[in-house]
Amino acid sequence: MSLVNFTTREITCKIVYYGPGRSGKTSNLQYVYGRVPESRRGRMVSLATQTDRTLFFDFLPIDLGVISGFATRFQLYTVPGQVYYNATRQLVLQGADGVVFVADSQARRFEENLESLQNLQVNLLQQGIDVRQFPVVLQYNKQDLPRDLILTQTELDDALNFRALRSFTADALHGAGVFETLKGISEIVLKRLAAGGNLK
Amino acid sequence: MRSVEPWVVAPLEGFLGESSARLVLIMTSAGQVIAQHGFTRALDVMSAAALGAGIMASAQELARVITWPAFTTVVHQGTRQGHFLARFETPRGVMIGLVVFGSETSLGLVQLFFNQLVLDLKHAAPAEKQPPQVLPADFEKELNASLRTLFGR
Repeated sequence: MSLVNFTTREITCKIVYYGPGRSGKTSNLQYVYGRVPESRRGRMVSLATQTDRTLFFDFLPIDLGVISGFATRFQLYTVPGQVYYNATRQLVLQGADGVVFVADSQARRFEENLESLQNLQVNLLQQGIDVRQFPVVLQYNKQDLPRDLILTQTELDDALNFRALRSFTADALHGAGVFETLKGISEIVLKRLAAGGNLK
Repeated sequence: MRSVEPWVVAPLEGFLGESSARLVLIMTSAGQVIAQHGFTRALDVMSAAALGAGIMASAQELARVITWPAFTTVVHQGTRQGHFLARFETPRGVMIGLVVFGSETSLGLVQLFFNQLVLDLKHAAPAEKQPPQVLPADFEKELNASLRTLFGR
């Protein structure tokens, strides 16, 4: 849930990057961390295994600046993508204001994308959240890979995006689409806030 | 001290005066900061809150897995300072307190006054109210400008 301090005029929102293992969730945060000036971000916290797979979560707080008179901060989290870490995903999803679903565009990873998307819906529902009313955007990552290995945005939209959510193509490792995705989810989350919902 | 919720201020000031804690953080179970004392950078406070909430969430889940009653307190006693992390209920939902303390006080005192803080917060917490309008509908232009600046575009 967003936190709004009317005295100091500050807004804090929680965004969770969700998706199957190795789809590029941590890469999104690492790119943001590398591009945003130090004065506008905190330390990136990564609770990872020795082989750099996310074990609990990655966390990056960023300062968006002043929007409509409110100092606006976003807390970016990732979840571990592997199927067996579901309890951890549920914990990290608690209190989220929006989700970026990072799908792997490789054709051979299609089933894992679908499974993870279904898992997101189940986990939100367990928290009493109807995914149809909740801010979610889709990011089709790894679009830089050879054409014969990946599905196009249209193909992925047809297969995964049955609610006509905003979707973005990306190459998170090199940064393409990362900014656009963050901008997309920020707009939806703040619009919801502007409409008066989801405030603590 | 900084606080998002005004009703937290008086109980927290009382706790700080009695316990001699160095750092205190009150957060939601999702890791959102409600109030803090002693941290110098707002963004570091957020990291501490995310980790504190993560520790409590995993401790609770561990208790569930091994079918023990929920762990509500986690303590780490170091040589020069220690930390005390505890989960508690208020009329405004579940909250977590993180207290970092040094040799000028003791774990026993921190725990004693923390229990009082929890009682004071329960009494001070107002009922949930309808939030007022926050942002005007045309905030997108400022958001876009902020993000462009942030990414150097």
